[in-house]
Formats: sequence, structure tokens, C-alpha cells
Amino acid sequence: MSLNAYLVLAALVFAIGLFGVLTRRNAVAILLGIELMLNAVNINLVAFARFHGDVVGLVFTLFTISITVVEIGLGLAIVIAIFRVRKTVEADHLTLLRG
Amino acid sequence: MSATALALVVLGLPFAAFLLLALVPPLRRAGRTGGAVSILAMAGALVAAVVLRIRGQDGLATWAWIPADGGPMVTVGVWVDELSLWMLVLVTLVSLLVQIYSVAYLDTEPPPALGRYYAYQSLFSCSMLGLVLAPTFVQMFVFWELVGLCSYLLIGFWYDRPAAARAAVKAFWITKLGDVGFIAGIVMLWGATGTFDFANLFAMANAGTLPRDGLSTIMLLIYMGAVGKSAQFPLHVWLPDAMEGPTPVSALIHAATMVTAGVYLMVRVQPLFLLTPDVLTIIGWVGAFTALLAATMACVESDIKRVLAYSTVSQLGYMMAAAGAAAAAAGFFHLLTHGVFKALLFLAAGAVIHAVGTNDIFRMGGLFRVMPQTGIVFIVGTLALAGVWPLAGFFSKEAILAGVWEGQLTVPFLMLALTAFLTAFYMFRVVFTAFFGRPHPAGSHPPHDAPPLMAGPLWILTALTVLIGLRLAVGGAGGHHGPGWLAPFSLGLAAAGIALAWATYQREIVSAASLAATFRPIYVLAQRRYGLDALYAGLYRGFILGFSAVVGWVDRYLVDGVLNVLSAATYRAGDVLRGLQTGRPQDYVYGVAFGVLLLFVWMQFWLP
Amino acid sequence: MTVETVGFWAVAVVLLAASLAVVLTPNLFHAVLFLALALVATGLIFLLLDAAFLFGVQLLLYAGGVVTVLVFAIMLTERLVGERITQTSRFIVNGAIVSGAVFAGIVGFLVQGRVPAVRAAMGPDATPALGRALVGPFALSVELLGVLLVTVLVGALYFARSED
Repeated sequence: MSLNAYLVLAALVFAIGLFGVLTRRNAVAILLGIELMLNAVNINLVAFARFHGDVVGLVFTLFTISITVVEIGLGLAIVIAIFRVRKTVEADHLTLLRG
Repeated sequence: MSATALALVVLGLPFAAFLLLALVPPLRRAGRTGGAVSILAMAGALVAAVVLRIRGQDGLATWAWIPADGGPMVTVGVWVDELSLWMLVLVTLVSLLVQIYSVAYLDTEPPPALGRYYAYQSLFSCSMLGLVLAPTFVQMFVFWELVGLCSYLLIGFWYDRPAAARAAVKAFWITKLGDVGFIAGIVMLWGATGTFDFANLFAMANAGTLPRDGLSTIMLLIYMGAVGKSAQFPLHVWLPDAMEGPTPVSALIHAATMVTAGVYLMVRVQPLFLLTPDVLTIIGWVGAFTALLAATMACVESDIKRVLAYSTVSQLGYMMAAAGAAAAAAGFFHLLTHGVFKALLFLAAGAVIHAVGTNDIFRMGGLFRVMPQTGIVFIVGTLALAGVWPLAGFFSKEAILAGVWEGQLTVPFLMLALTAFLTAFYMFRVVFTAFFGRPHPAGSHPPHDAPPLMAGPLWILTALTVLIGLRLAVGGAGGHHGPGWLAPFSLGLAAAGIALAWATYQREIVSAASLAATFRPIYVLAQRRYGLDALYAGLYRGFILGFSAVVGWVDRYLVDGVLNVLSAATYRAGDVLRGLQTGRPQDYVYGVAFGVLLLFVWMQFWLP
Repeated sequence: MTVETVGFWAVAVVLLAASLAVVLTPNLFHAVLFLALALVATGLIFLLLDAAFLFGVQLLLYAGGVVTVLVFAIMLTERLVGERITQTSRFIVNGAIVSGAVFAGIVGFLVQGRVPAVRAAMGPDATPALGRALVGPFALSVELLGVLLVTVLVGALYFARSED
């Protein structure tokens, strides 16, 4: 398969993740969408690394994965903390930053 | 020491005193100590000036100021010659005497105010000396404005008095009106000749190379500056109001020195004015008219200082008339003698005011008995002003009358003759009312003669007035003898004026009321100052306030309006934009997505 | 049809289907499970791209760790509310249009780009090279990553600790 096939696949996954982020109401579900988008990026990185024969792409992927995990952990902690205070995780209700 | 170096010393000493007083606050706050510094500096300047006068050397030193291609455009320097030497002596002498006198006169002022007073005085003396020594029009203008500034500061010395503050502003504005013409004339003259230097200009005038086109306009504009400064009709209205300042200030600035700057200018640039006879004629007529007008106003004034102020205006008119009749030397001569005896009169009047506590001559009376010294010096000054032989005023006045007569200005000559009569009348009106006549019930403290610090300058000035007169009487008054009938004629005028005043105010043979009734139109007009003050006030309201109203309207509705619209628009836009800040994370993600799309579009179509 | 082509298509279908399920299913718990499937599929893509080590990391970290954490989070938040763990979406059309546009943009960009058509020559396994890179040029980054992990661990504890 050509590199473009992988890239288009990644783009599709990315678009789907974006769709999730845009449409979900639940904060945890929004995090799921973000996970999908990050995965799409990982696919890109690995594909480029493979087709260019450069190990740096793999290193970056490793970092991305680790940071994603960190991000999801922290995000969920925040969600739980918000939930404790506001008794909801609906993003529509969390509009303290409205101007 | 060369003449120019010595002149610089004369100029520098008062300036140093001013700097000391201005920059060393403890000295200024010390009051009398500061005054002593100023007086010492003035004394040094006087000595230097007298030495200069005795040596009588001429000298000219200039330094480049504003550089330009092909030599400096403007130079500054000192020009020592016959004219400036006499002025140096007069200015330093009167300044010194006035400063000494002020120590006693302003004894009730708090020390900081006194220090401020002396700082102003020193600055004034320095500025006046700079004006006198100026070898170029530009330097003269700079110092001209500086003396105007000092006049403003000193008239408004008691700035917490509304009348004084108003008078200061009035004096400043009205003289500035003339100064606008002055600077315009200077610049136009430079445009025509390419130089500000008196020496160059005179050389061109003598060689006949001065361009004649528009010279009349230029000289008329320069004359405007003198009109403002020397209180000529129609800009004379500021001088009587300037009497709101302390009396020593009136004596120095508004009688002896600053107001004569206009006359000095006329005399200084006489070679240029001689090229424009029509302007000279105007100057002569205006001078004579001013003399007469001010004399009539002095006749109905009851404030002693204002009488003197009007008489100053009147005498300045005399000098101007002489300048207009191409007899500048006579005008300058009168300037010098008038400077001495008018300072004397003002200082004597100050002594009276200091003792009595009022300016109104009808609330004085019989003062000669309680303050004989002051009475004597005042009468000597009055006689000199009235032009009685053998005092200083007689000779200078006669010289002017002769000059005007020889200048074929018959009508101005008659006006001046009438003025001479009126001068004697109104001055002796003051003498008879204030010093003789029934004593007015005294206030809480009986009047007394002046303290030594005030009496000293008075006697010195009196002695000078008499001595100059005697010297001239013995040695002959130079080449200004008019026709033979002139001296008896002017003496007769003075005697008639004195006699009328004596009959009216001492003997009361002639009732003042019936006199007023006889000359009713003039009496009423003079009392209302010929409506000029009202006219100026009306013009001021009409033009300045009207213009201010327009400017205010523009500011309020156009400038502010634009700003208000802008701020309101900003406010509304902010209101609209804050709707974008929904607080919902997804809306921000939409923003990011649109941004990415924009990037794609940009790369698609615009990326090279 | 090589093994790789067959594998790619199969995994791609699974990945896309699972992804769609993640964003569309009303049941949040199911969504998490579909996410796990999608993550595993991504791992298989890594395997197809000769990155076996990353496949392992993906399985361990994502499919193992993240999914577990997610399940816990859902149980913590949803059960307390006492409602069914369903959730709804909103503005589906808007989201579809925007994400479709972004996809079209990416693809449009890819079409124009010049990318290598064939794989570069590499050893059978990239893991040793990866390992050398991690302890070589990227050693400092790895250390920083460790610091980050510790920080986040502490932060998460701080956020999630009970108020007592």
C-alpha cells in the first residue's frame, strides 16, 4: 500500500474524532474524540517514519502516546473534580468562561 | 576692560542675581537677604554703567547665534554707543533706587514673596539692559518680550487680588497685540534686506540701497510694537490698569524704563523711519493725540497712581511725537529726564500711599504738614513734569515742542501745547488736593514721613532732577532751541495750568463742578475713558469669547462627538464580540477547525 | 494482493467502523469499548508499518491503561448521577460538515503533495534503532517525559482526591 493510503486513513480517523469532539455533550465522550484524533496523528507519524526510513518518527510516536496517556489521565481527573462540584459532566453546562 | 566687556558686566550682574534667587530657594525664602543680593548686583551694574558713561567709548561685539549658509543668520551681542550708554545709566540707576526703596515699601510682605519680588526685579533689569544693548532686531525682540513677561509678573505680584491678576493679563495681551506687528515687521524687514543687524540696516539706509517697496508697511508694523509697549493710542488702556502692581514696580517699569522701550526703539531705528516720512507723520499725530487724550483723562482721575499713569501715557505721547517730527534726539532727551522725575513722582506717591493707606486723592489732604519731605520731593517732581524752569522737564519738553514745530506739524504742536497746560493743571490738582487743603480725618494711625530707605532714593532723584536742570540752565540745552517765543510760551502754559489748579482746588474761586459743567462732554467722555476700555471689553467678548464659543462647540460636539461615536462603536462591537465567547469548548474547537480550513484555502490559492 | 494490502483493508475497515461507533453510539460505556477496539486496530496498523514495539506500547498503554481509566471515570461520574449511561449528540449536521470539510482539505493537500510511493529499505525490526535513539539523542527528552509523568500523577491525585 502506498503512503497516501495510510495518510487518507489517518485523515478519516482524524475527521471522525473531530466530529465526535464537535458533537458530543458528555465531557468524557469529548475526551474519546480527542483520543481518536491523536491516534490518527500517531498513524501519520509511524507511516512517515516507515516510508522515509527514519526512526525519529517512531520516537515521536512513543512520546505522543505517553503524553496522550498523561493528558487523558489529567483530563479525567479534572472531569471528576468538576463532577464533584457541579454534579454534571455535560459540556453545555460548563460555561463559566462565557463572556 | 573694553567697553563691550564692561557692558556685559552690566548685563550679567542682574542676571546672576536673578539666577541666584531663582535657583537657590533658601536665598529666595530669606526675603531681605535675597533683596540685598539683588541690590548689590544692581549697585555693581550702576557703577559699571557710570564708568562706561564717563569713558564714553563706543563698542560693538557680536556672536553668532543661529547658523546658516554663508554666515550666521542671527547674531547676538552688545552695542555700546551714545544712546545705549544713557539708557544703561538710567535703567541701572532707577532700578537700584527702586530696589532700595522696595525694601521699606514692601516691609509687610512675607519673606518668600519678597524674594520672588527681587527675582522678578533682577530679571527685569537684566532684560531691559539686554534690550537696550541689543545690536539686532531679533535680540531686541527677545528681550522686548522678556520685559513684557516681567511686567506681567510684577503687575500680578499680588496675584491673589483679582484686579491685579486681571490687570496683568490685560497688560500682557494688549502689549502682545502690538508685538505681533513688531515681529511681523522684523521678519518682513529681514525678507526685504536679509539682515537683522542695526548696523547693516543703517548702512544700507545711508547708502540708499534699502529696498523701498513695502518699507512703509514694515515700519508701520514695527511701530505697532512700540504702540503696544509705550502705551500709545489706541493700545494705551493697559497702562492705567497696570497700577495694580506695587508702586515701586510702577515707578520702574511703567514709568521710567519698560514703557519707554517703544520710544527707545523709535530712536534706535530712526535712520529707517527717516526713509518713510508718511509713517513718521502718523507717529507724530498719534503721539500728540495720545498725549492730549491721556491728559484729559488724568484731569478727572482721583486715584493718584492712575493720574501718574495717564501722565506717563501723555508724556510717552510727547516723546513719540518728537520721534514722529524727526526730532528723535529731543524725544530721547525727554525720555531720560522723564525717567528720573516720573520715577521720583511715583516713589513719592508710593510714600504717600504707604503712609495714608489709600490711593484716592480726595481722601488725602493737608499732607504737607505731616510729611513735609515727601511733599517737597513730590512738588519738585510735579514742577519738573509741568515743565517749569529750571528743572529738567522744562528743557526736554521745550526741545520736543521745538522739534515738533520745526517738523511742520502744526496741529500736533497745538495739541501738545494744550497738553502742557493740562499737565500742569492736573498735576497741581493732585498737589493742592492731597498736600494742601483741608486735612482729611486720619485713619487709625496718623500719616508720617517716609522711612530713610524710602526717603533716600526720593532725595537722590530730587537732586538729580534739580541738578540736571541747573546744569542745562547754566550750560545751555544743546542745539534744540526753537523760535524765541517758545520758552516763554511753554512757561506761560505751565503757569496758566498751575494758576487754574490753584484757583480751583486751593482758593476754590473757580468751582470744580462748574468747570466740569462747562466741559461737560469731554468731562463725561474722559471719565468713561472715552469708552475705549468698554470698547475693548466688548470687542474681547465679541471676538475672543465668540471665537471661544465656536471652538468650544467644535470641541464639544465635533471632536467629542467623534470620540463618543468611536467609543460607543467600540463598546457595541465588544458587546457583539463577547457573544463569541460562549464558554462552550466545542465552539472553540469550531473556531480551530475554521482556522485550519482557512489555512487550506490560503495554501490552495495564495501560496506561491 | 499482498498480505499487507489485505491486512490494511481489513484493519482499515475495522478501524473506521470502530471510530464511527465511538462517536455515534449513545451508550457511553459502549463507546469506550469501541474506542478500545479502534486503538487495537491502530496498533495493528503500526504492526503493518513494521513498528512492532509501538504495537506493544499501544496495546499496553492505550487499550490497557487508558481504557481502564476511562471505564473507571465513567463509572464514577455516571453512576452517581443515577441515570443511564447514555448520552446524546447535538448539531450533528454542523459537526459533519465541518469535519468533512477538514477531511477534504487534508486530502486535497495530500493529493498535491509529493510523497514517496514505496517504503524505504529498513531492517526487519526497527526496535533496536528506536531503543538506541531513546537512550542516545533523545535521552534528555525521555527524562523530561518521566518528570512530566510524575507531575501529572501528583496533579491527578490532587484533583481527584476526596475532600476530607
